[in-house]
Amino acid sequence: MGKDRIPDWLNSSLWSTTLSDDDRLHRHSPSPTTSAAAASEPIFQPPVPVPPPAAASSPQSTVTSPKSELRDQVDKNSNDNSNDNDQNASSSGVSPDDISRQAQLLTELSKKVVNLRELRRIASQGIPDGAGIRSTVWKLLLGYLPPDRAQWSSELAKKRSEYKQFKEELLMNPTEITRKLEKSSVHDNDHSKSESSGLLSRSQVTRGEHPLSLGESSIWNQFFQDSEIVEQIDRDVKRTHPDMDFFSGDSHLAKSNQDALKDILIVFAKLNPGIRYVQGMNEILAPLFYVFRNDPDEEMAAAAEADSFFCFVELLSGFRDHFCKQLDNSIVGIRATITRLSQFLKEHDEELWRHLEITTKVNPQFYAFRWITLLLTQEFNFADSLRIWDTLLSDLEGPLETLLRVCCAMLILVRQRLLAGDFTSNLKLLQNYPPSNISHLLYVANKLRPQAAS
Amino acid sequence: MVLVLALGDLHIPHRAADLPPKFKSMLVPGKIQHIICTGNLCIKEVQDYLKTLCPDLHITRGEYDEETRYPETKTLTIGQFKLGLCHGHQVIPWGDLDSLAMLQRQLDVDILVTGHTHQFTAYKHEGGVVINPGSATGAYSSMTYDVNPSFVLMDIDGLRVVVYVYELIDGEVKVDKIDFKKTAATTHSAH
Repeated sequence: MGKDRIPDWLNSSLWSTTLSDDDRLHRHSPSPTTSAAAASEPIFQPPVPVPPPAAASSPQSTVTSPKSELRDQVDKNSNDNSNDNDQNASSSGVSPDDISRQAQLLTELSKKVVNLRELRRIASQGIPDGAGIRSTVWKLLLGYLPPDRAQWSSELAKKRSEYKQFKEELLMNPTEITRKLEKSSVHDNDHSKSESSGLLSRSQVTRGEHPLSLGESSIWNQFFQDSEIVEQIDRDVKRTHPDMDFFSGDSHLAKSNQDALKDILIVFAKLNPGIRYVQGMNEILAPLFYVFRNDPDEEMAAAAEADSFFCFVELLSGFRDHFCKQLDNSIVGIRATITRLSQFLKEHDEELWRHLEITTKVNPQFYAFRWITLLLTQEFNFADSLRIWDTLLSDLEGPLETLLRVCCAMLILVRQRLLAGDFTSNLKLLQNYPPSNISHLLYVANKLRPQAAS
Repeated sequence: MVLVLALGDLHIPHRAADLPPKFKSMLVPGKIQHIICTGNLCIKEVQDYLKTLCPDLHITRGEYDEETRYPETKTLTIGQFKLGLCHGHQVIPWGDLDSLAMLQRQLDVDILVTGHTHQFTAYKHEGGVVINPGSATGAYSSMTYDVNPSFVLMDIDGLRVVVYVYELIDGEVKVDKIDFKKTAATTHSAH
């Protein structure tokens, strides 16, 4: 093989997950690849190295890799797994390379002015879970925190008070608003106690504001119109990640988290009348809020709501057009992005592309829509999606480009099964993407970069 | 923020055909949480119409109501306030503050809503507040032909009530409001 521009290294069975492997390949398994690897050596030495991101290595060197790189792979796996694997060098589940990356990140973060390029380079290999620095790194990557550490406290204070103001202005119900407006012209209500009986004094309604007002600018009218959106946000928030105690259930923690999510989405909807709220925004907000709320620094964790709001706005800014129905068929809309993915697949793996789209007629919209609009949060378990987001947020090409590469890699990794399947089985497979080794996936995605194409 | 609509004395179809169109355009479903009606609707169709505005509807019997099974008086608790409802033809002299105050003490409520006089009034006395929403259709009463259509919308928020008075004067809707604060929280449990 080698025709249709599939590079040899990609065509090797190393890269595909086959059916037999899926049995062994559950989420916390360290072994990423196929029978060849398993048969030859003990599991903790898979022949899949991770090259340093900057270097574009040739196919030969990736296959015969030095031992240190093998350990990298193992350590990446242990990084992703929350279970303690017996294959790890250290008993606590944190391996030497993890520690080194953690140290690198901490060094970078403790500098007076953080070098963002360097940070991105390290972060795209994955941010160790144990260090509790993901929150800070994501804030830097999204541009919420400026690179200059000295400005952090003032920036944070500014942003948080801004959010507080938004909440006060936008989340008040009309009764409270009218009361606030009246406070300026207050005459003590208690004076009426002195007249213990008699006619109650009538007063003018300020600016025609009354609950049944039908005026466009009436706060009451706007309130009732917004209540529909508020109800939808409420429903979606209650359905976010029902399997996680953090988000769902009757505990006080879950309720306060749900309230925070709701407030953020309502403020966003009110500030953006053009796009309002679209189902799915809650899924993009959830990982951000989770990471920020679990920041070991208490002060940061307490202000997670305000921080998540701004980071959510920043993250969504690159993907807003996917949520706008009118833009569906335009150059920037979701359909165009899905077409780009399709083209991308065609460039890198024409045989698979042909089989998927033409032979089995699996329209990419059936599976890629959710992958792209929800930034892969629904395709993998929560921990894995956080790892993928590390790469999405840190890559220099930008989240959208990286996302397309990762989606393409997802398709290529299951190509054996796809090529063997028909419409039904392919669609089933892609809509319930099998659990896989995330580092492997990201490695393949990395190889699909334009400059690294072989 | 609970919105309660208080109205009555419509006398449909005997003395008036329908609510004034300007009132009807404002009364849309989805905004109001409770409706209390002093009575004299008079027919079931009016009750059905009010039910479409809000499912929680309370009516007391007026002397011309065709439905005989409405109660004479009704009490309900909304938020921190106890409201009492009565048509008012039973209380003589009609519209007299002291007699209505007696009824209010009997029912033990903070806000008493009665009708029958077809005139909007709002009184305060030691026991609480007495509100008469007037006639929503402007139907003539036993005492006068000169009636402006009016109704009342109460916004109950904690211990504070803002009473919005809607009147149709010379073909225009005029809205006034009255502020009323309760001094102590109600100790009885809500029913």
